[in-house]
Amino acid sequence: MNRKRAYRSKMRILADMMRAIQSEGEEGAGPTKILYAANLSHDRLTQYLDELIEKELIKEENSENDSRVYFLTEKGREFLREFVRIERFSEAFGIEV
Amino acid sequence: MQAGLAIIRLDLVFEFISGVIALIVTYYATKAYNLTGQKRLSDLSTGFLVLSAGMFGRVIGTWYFLVKYGVDFQAGGEVITIVTIAYGASRIMAYVLFVIATRPPKRRPQEVPGSSMLLMATFLVDPDLEVIAIIVLVIVVLQAVVNYMSTRSKFARYVLIGFFLILLSHILMAQVTDNPGFYLLSQAAQFLGFLSFLVLLVQVGRVNE
Repeated sequence: MNRKRAYRSKMRILADMMRAIQSEGEEGAGPTKILYAANLSHDRLTQYLDELIEKELIKEENSENDSRVYFLTEKGREFLREFVRIERFSEAFGIEV
Repeated sequence: MQAGLAIIRLDLVFEFISGVIALIVTYYATKAYNLTGQKRLSDLSTGFLVLSAGMFGRVIGTWYFLVKYGVDFQAGGEVITIVTIAYGASRIMAYVLFVIATRPPKRRPQEVPGSSMLLMATFLVDPDLEVIAIIVLVIVVLQAVVNYMSTRSKFARYVLIGFFLILLSHILMAQVTDNPGFYLLSQAAQFLGFLSFLVLLVQVGRVNE
């Protein structure tokens, strides 16, 4: 029995983006990879990437071929760990976040 | 008589520890609400807060009764009646909040709160608090079953076990008049239910497993 996700909070969207970045490890993730993984429009992606950078949860760098690549900061990793705890707790009670 | 007093003291210890666990769950749910803004987490947090307040109220009230009147149950009848009714009412309020917080996500938002308010109305006219608590808790347990069946996660299992044991404690408590031996069993079941919530919190905290 697989439940459709009815509600996705902004925090979950940010966490999904950060998970996409984390999954790429030390190579970092490009915008397209994050866009598909977090299922976002381009405008939303830009808006949320700016927000994550502003909050120092991710950092932006330019790769050798001059494209943008994103990495998790230590603060971002801690945020993601905390979000996983909150997510497990909430879903244990049947509450989607 | 001394054995009865010892049981009440043990019961108060169970109740106090359960109240502390309920407060920890409140803290966790509030933290989750602050991070996500999910209203149901706020309802869950309020539910556990009301539950813990009721538990501490009962511990303090019963302790005051024992210190002031000893084992003379007739002398402090009014005090113990107020404490029991306040405790029963606070638990029902908490369980109604759990019904609202844990309702399945696909339902229309108006449906379940409506039925919950109906249950509250029933509470106002029905003096038998244990029966009302059982009815509300059956809904909470059914929702926990639905959630566990759909997620199959060990975290949802701890919640289901927790709520089921609390329901069991009320079922046992409802039969105490006929079978006084069920009193401590009921308190033990409730205590184990809260321990299940504590295990949930410990397991949830282990992120790097």
